[in-house]
Amino acid sequence: MRLLRLREVKAFFQGHAASHQLGWNWIPRLSLSPKGLKILAASLSCCGCPTGKGMSWAQAILLARGLSRGWGGICSTALTGAPFSQVMPQAPRGLHCSTAAHNPDSPLVPRPPEPQRGLVKALAPHEELFRQAPDGVQDKASFVQAVQNFTQYNVHKRGHVDFIYLALRKMREYGVERDLAIYNLLLDIFPKEVFRPRNIFHSIFLHYPRQQECGIAVLEQMENHGVMPNKETEFLLTQIFGRKSYPMLKFVRMKLWFTRFKNINPFPVPRDLPQDPVDLARLALRHMEPDLSARVTVYQMPLSKDSTDATDPTEPHIVGIQSPDQQAALAHHDPARPIFVEGPFSLWLRDKCVYYHILRADLLPPEEREVEEIPEEWNLYYPMQLDLAYGRSSWDDYEFNIDEVEEGPVFAICMAGAHDQATLAKWIQGLQETNPTLARIPVVFRLSASSGELLASSSGLEETPLTPPEGREEEENNQQRQQQSQS
Amino acid sequence: MSGCGLFLRSAAAARLGRALVAFTASRRPLRTSPPSQAFAKELFLGKIEKKEVFPFPEVSQDELNEINQFVGPVEKFFTEEVDSQKIDREGKIPNETLEKLKSLGLFGMQVPEEYGGLGLSNTMYARLGEIISLDCSIAVTLAAHQAIGLKGIILAGSEEQKARYLPKLASGEHVAAFCLTEPASGSDAASIRTRATLSEDKKHYVLNGSKVWITNGGLASVFTVFAKTEVVDSNGSVKDKVTAFIVERDFGGITSGKPEDKLGIRGSNTCEVHFENTRVPVENVLGEVGGGFKVAMNILNSGRFSMGSAVAGMLKKLIEMTAEYACTRKQFNRNLSEFGLIQEKFALMAQKAYVMESMAYLTAGMLDQPGFPDCSIEAAMVKVFSSEAAWQCVSEALQVLGGSGYMRDYPYERILRDSRILLIFEGTNEILRMYIALTGLQHAGRILTARVKQLKQGNVTTIMETVSRRVRDSLGRTVDLGLTGKLGAVHPSMEDSAHKLEQNVHYFSRTVETLLLRFGKTIVEEQLVLKRVANILINLYGMTAVLSRASRSMRVGLQNHDHEVLLANIFCTEAYYQNLFALSQLDKSDLRREERGTPRNSEHWHPTPTVLTRLSPPAEGMMKWLLQQILQKISMN
Repeated sequence: MRLLRLREVKAFFQGHAASHQLGWNWIPRLSLSPKGLKILAASLSCCGCPTGKGMSWAQAILLARGLSRGWGGICSTALTGAPFSQVMPQAPRGLHCSTAAHNPDSPLVPRPPEPQRGLVKALAPHEELFRQAPDGVQDKASFVQAVQNFTQYNVHKRGHVDFIYLALRKMREYGVERDLAIYNLLLDIFPKEVFRPRNIFHSIFLHYPRQQECGIAVLEQMENHGVMPNKETEFLLTQIFGRKSYPMLKFVRMKLWFTRFKNINPFPVPRDLPQDPVDLARLALRHMEPDLSARVTVYQMPLSKDSTDATDPTEPHIVGIQSPDQQAALAHHDPARPIFVEGPFSLWLRDKCVYYHILRADLLPPEEREVEEIPEEWNLYYPMQLDLAYGRSSWDDYEFNIDEVEEGPVFAICMAGAHDQATLAKWIQGLQETNPTLARIPVVFRLSASSGELLASSSGLEETPLTPPEGREEEENNQQRQQQSQS
Repeated sequence: MSGCGLFLRSAAAARLGRALVAFTASRRPLRTSPPSQAFAKELFLGKIEKKEVFPFPEVSQDELNEINQFVGPVEKFFTEEVDSQKIDREGKIPNETLEKLKSLGLFGMQVPEEYGGLGLSNTMYARLGEIISLDCSIAVTLAAHQAIGLKGIILAGSEEQKARYLPKLASGEHVAAFCLTEPASGSDAASIRTRATLSEDKKHYVLNGSKVWITNGGLASVFTVFAKTEVVDSNGSVKDKVTAFIVERDFGGITSGKPEDKLGIRGSNTCEVHFENTRVPVENVLGEVGGGFKVAMNILNSGRFSMGSAVAGMLKKLIEMTAEYACTRKQFNRNLSEFGLIQEKFALMAQKAYVMESMAYLTAGMLDQPGFPDCSIEAAMVKVFSSEAAWQCVSEALQVLGGSGYMRDYPYERILRDSRILLIFEGTNEILRMYIALTGLQHAGRILTARVKQLKQGNVTTIMETVSRRVRDSLGRTVDLGLTGKLGAVHPSMEDSAHKLEQNVHYFSRTVETLLLRFGKTIVEEQLVLKRVANILINLYGMTAVLSRASRSMRVGLQNHDHEVLLANIFCTEAYYQNLFALSQLDKSDLRREERGTPRNSEHWHPTPTVLTRLSPPAEGMMKWLLQQILQKISMN
């Protein structure tokens, strides 16, 4: 069990490695990437020993298959239909595995539209419950009303699983996806005591799998939105599924890991990100810049503030940041050496991906570096240097630090609505006002093609892709433009 | 009073011959290397320079008589006429008090007699400091005037400058101030912004800039000002260098800000001083043009030793007041003084006061020796030890006093506020620790360089020597540096303590060698290492001072010499274990990481006992006995 625990943790981290590297933005949305989600689910299924009394490996495999089948079911209906192949390639191809499984070539990015469309059609029966709001207001009250309508008119709770899946998808529209009370309300729909395992065989073999999976889906969505379950959730789960069930296991794990990960990010990102791209850029730049005395400058505002399309190609926003130290370093830069505008690089802020560019120079070759001299008469009280012939030997240098790797100075950072050379040239022009020497230094644009750009992929049950299709087109345009400029 | 003054003058004349010799020597350009090996530096090499510190420096009988006659009236004045509480409340020293101080000659204590001062030796200056410090505001005002304000003229001034300024300064007609600190420049000389430019006729410097936190800034009429001037190098390039100037208020363009509202020493005048196109004649350059840095350094280094005796004087007074309270206040039908926890506090205060007094007078005695020994490390150690002990002791005294210590109607909270500044001014204790450690390490480094080089090159004989010495050390060789024994410098009653000192010194030098070998010149950056080195050195110096003083008392047969021996033994035991602890920390290979986490209680390489932060049982027993003695003595007085 110990080993399996470790695997679980490892899988967890693996799944988040991508967003982890991008600036600690994965908390508390524990499961950001679909891959991580699936690995977690699989490891959950294969390492969990719900009885806690020990279980043979064969049983575990059996269970894993059972759950993966279950998950396959979810994936084909509610989730995105992506495979489990990364997790258990050696698992025997079970009869019940979904057709999408075990496809090693499948992309990491989910393909949301097709299965969901089918799903919407299939769930149409309960759809009308959510259309009953009198004046079309979508808020917590109307959501609660819809759920209550379901329980009132459906005394036998027929189709409650489908309804819960539908409700989970609707939560975002109603803006209640972070409301713990609503999740508890959803769990409350389940009939009580019915799905509890009554004997050891029930608890070994997945008892009422579809209902348990639905329960897990509710918890999963809570996890995705960083909602911590409470005592009431626990009470409901024990009433519905009993202590020895998978939703309960999921609940216990959430209780364990949420507390550990809640404050793990040393550079917390606010929960609600600003919608305005300029404000977002400001926040992101402050987030990246360690120097508190750095100044953020808006070099260009987007042309029309009202238009939702902030990435207006004619007048995109340009926001830059520069600290006094960076200004001084730029002032001392040798004009004979070119400096580079590089980018775009991506930065994740919660579920948003923004792109930035840096202005940097290459590191001076060692022979040209000026050794910093300690002035003779500097410190009135004690000697600043000792007149000794020898220093510290290299084996004694335990100062290695990833922060101090030398890779050339960075003079400024900017975020712009467009990633083409014309926009960035405007940034450089703006920088010249505060850095007169910049006018004499040749600036080389080294804009990578879309290699640095990730499509903002989101894995939520009902989330739409964050990058609008126009963005892609624009990027393609950029690529073309860059190719032109490079050629 | 005037008779006393006359007597002083005549006695001073008798010493004129000696003084003259000294002053001709002082007229040399400021020294950079010490003419004689100072005691503290040799400790880094594992040597105890016995002739510097043993026996404890004596004052001649004449001098003693003289000082005793002088001390009487000053003490009377301070206890009867100075109202410290009023000074603290009003934030100002009354004019009549200042006049009286001037008439007592306290404004020119160290000014040579030929310029109208008292020309006191360092020891006598320290003795007077004990009394003056009964009011901290007055002590700070006087110290700013003569320990730093006019010190530049004595140390670096030309004959004409001395003749022109010193007499009026000594009489107190003019008050001096020392203007170095600026808003952007504390100990960083490079960031001094005040600028002096040579006028076109080359007869004046035009001074512009502002200085902050200048003690006596509002009273003073003569300022020692440090400013940047353009100096042409030997190779023709123009550089900005610091130059010291003597600036009179009458030169014009000098304005003082309003007095600062301070936590303590509220009676002293501290304010900003602005210079606006002040024209300073070129004759008023102190020292050489561009040589201001060294002038400043020397002034700062020379002014520190007196703090030890001053604090000791203040503490003794405080112990007296606290003991009176502890011996009269009854709780549960017992005096406070009968409770062990209260007694412990008195022992601590008595011990600290004894140690700092010993250190201060030892340093003063060393400074009084002919040949101008360089005692700047010792002076810095005295300052660090005494200021920290003062803060600790005053805090403990307040604890004994309980609620009344906290009330403004009583003088205790004022003493607490006043003593906080001691850790900050004249160089913060942190900076002085750097100075103590680095100056000593520089000295040791020069000597050890050759050896260390050979070690690094892999010279077989040197390596063998080092290894064999290490092996011998680890086998528990007894260290004997010759302090004890038949003709030893330390009295047999303190033989144990002397052994402890010897052992500490020995292992300290080994550690210093290891550190130098390991860090080389990058040790400048290892501030946590340097702090520990400085702490050990301060303890070693304190141990030496008390051993020397208590041995002398035993041999001379002073009253209560057995108490002194006890105090010495207690301090040596405590310091010994503190040193062992610090040494074991220094020996860790990953000192810095250790520092960030909690210290582990692991083995250290000494053959000596494990690190204890508390006293071993016999010492505690001794302490209890001593406490009773002290309390009895105090309550009987």
